[in-house]
Amino acid sequence: MHIPDAFIPLPQAAIYWIIALIFVALALRWARNELSEEKIPLIAVLAAGIFAIQAFNLPVGMGTSGHLVGGALAAIVLGSPFAAVFILTIVLIIQGVVFGDGGITTMGANIINMGVIGGFVGYYSYHGIKSAIKNKFIPAAIAAWLGCFIAAVVCAIEMFIAGTFPLVPGIIAMGTYHAAIGIIEGVITAGAIYLIYSTRPDLIELDKGDA
Amino acid sequence: MIEELQNIERQAMGNSRVHRLDARTKIILAFAAIIAMVAYPYSKDVIVPGMLLFAFFSVLWAFSGLSVLAYLKRLILILPFGIFIIIFQIFFENSRYDTFTSILDLPLGIHVYAESVEFASILLIKFIVCISFIILLSSTTTMQDMLAGAKRLGMPSEFVLIIGLMIRYLFVFAEMYGKVINVFEVKFFNAFDTNLPYKYRLRTLAYAIGTLFIRSYEQGERTYISMLCRGYSRDSFLRIEKKKIQGKELGFLIFGIIFIVAGVTVPYLIFDLGLIPSVSMQF
Repeated sequence: MHIPDAFIPLPQAAIYWIIALIFVALALRWARNELSEEKIPLIAVLAAGIFAIQAFNLPVGMGTSGHLVGGALAAIVLGSPFAAVFILTIVLIIQGVVFGDGGITTMGANIINMGVIGGFVGYYSYHGIKSAIKNKFIPAAIAAWLGCFIAAVVCAIEMFIAGTFPLVPGIIAMGTYHAAIGIIEGVITAGAIYLIYSTRPDLIELDKGDA
Repeated sequence: MIEELQNIERQAMGNSRVHRLDARTKIILAFAAIIAMVAYPYSKDVIVPGMLLFAFFSVLWAFSGLSVLAYLKRLILILPFGIFIIIFQIFFENSRYDTFTSILDLPLGIHVYAESVEFASILLIKFIVCISFIILLSSTTTMQDMLAGAKRLGMPSEFVLIIGLMIRYLFVFAEMYGKVINVFEVKFFNAFDTNLPYKYRLRTLAYAIGTLFIRSYEQGERTYISMLCRGYSRDSFLRIEKKKIQGKELGFLIFGIIFIVAGVTVPYLIFDLGLIPSVSMQF
């Protein structure tokens, strides 16, 4: 899902950057309000944790593999979609600048896909589904799946607009592949949240009121 | 990825002229080269600025004292990120072309088009030049130096603070991740082993990731207490000494920017003005 440099023309990449910067600015505002001195190391560790989590290759099937995005996980655990934008921006900066995974000019589009869409879809769908079915873990799985799948479809649309991949094959390829990865992301997100909730319920912001 | 991080950091700790350059110089030059390459139209002429920028990269890489093999190893690791999309280009009618010439007809009505092969080549050239500059930047600049450079270039303090701490934890995680993998190996667990039930494999991975997550949190708490004991304060951590780029380094930076801008602009103007018969496509 990381779009590399040169796969989106510069004018379009600039537009994605501008949109992403608006969300990054809002995420910064969230960080300034929410990041107490005590929380700062924890957020940093979370960012490193999501970076490490993305290093796990998950079997998708037919010999292919993928990795977690972590946007929904960050948003659910920290109780804000802006937390996902903040953390995914940091992870994408390190991945793009150090590893060449994703690009510099395309980082705006990647932040939108994984941070904004992953975080917002993950957070609000979790919140909505949880209030409907009164369960903490199934909504987390569905929210993570939605965050992954919708972000992948948007990524395919961006590539189509860029003229670097046709729309229908792009949506079919990205949609199918990430629908499968999304199931794994959903199961793993729910499993990870279950484990955190069982051992350290104090860490999950969103559920403090429920506990 | 985490193992690669340690290798990259080892390379970045060299002492060549390129390693000693201010991080800001390398960041600005790398980003300028990438933006310039991306800004160039999707034209066959891209080979000219591509070669000029790659030559600039090659000179810097040679002065860095790092081996060609080291570059190739990193290139091979990064290539899969884009090569999949590039290869698939050849099977589609790219919207940037009006007519298509099939050069290979495959079963199931699949064709390989000359125009699409051309577009895939253009993408490949741009992609390789861009990632080469990223490889140069990260292989000659430690993450801490890059962060200090980014802060001096105006990166918000919140990002600098969190990234600075994150970098420290990444190496702790590298160790933790290695331990998790060792445990998997000792217990003969392989996530790709189809003989194991799929549900079991996913549950094991979920628990491993959850454990990593919790351990990271608890590591953060321990570190925070240690930092408090050592007089940690948010403001003192953010203090990064002001430093001007001057003298020869400033001259090199200006030369580099002029070279990059000219390396892209001059070929564009020459081909666009028709001083040399243009072979570029019009979009």
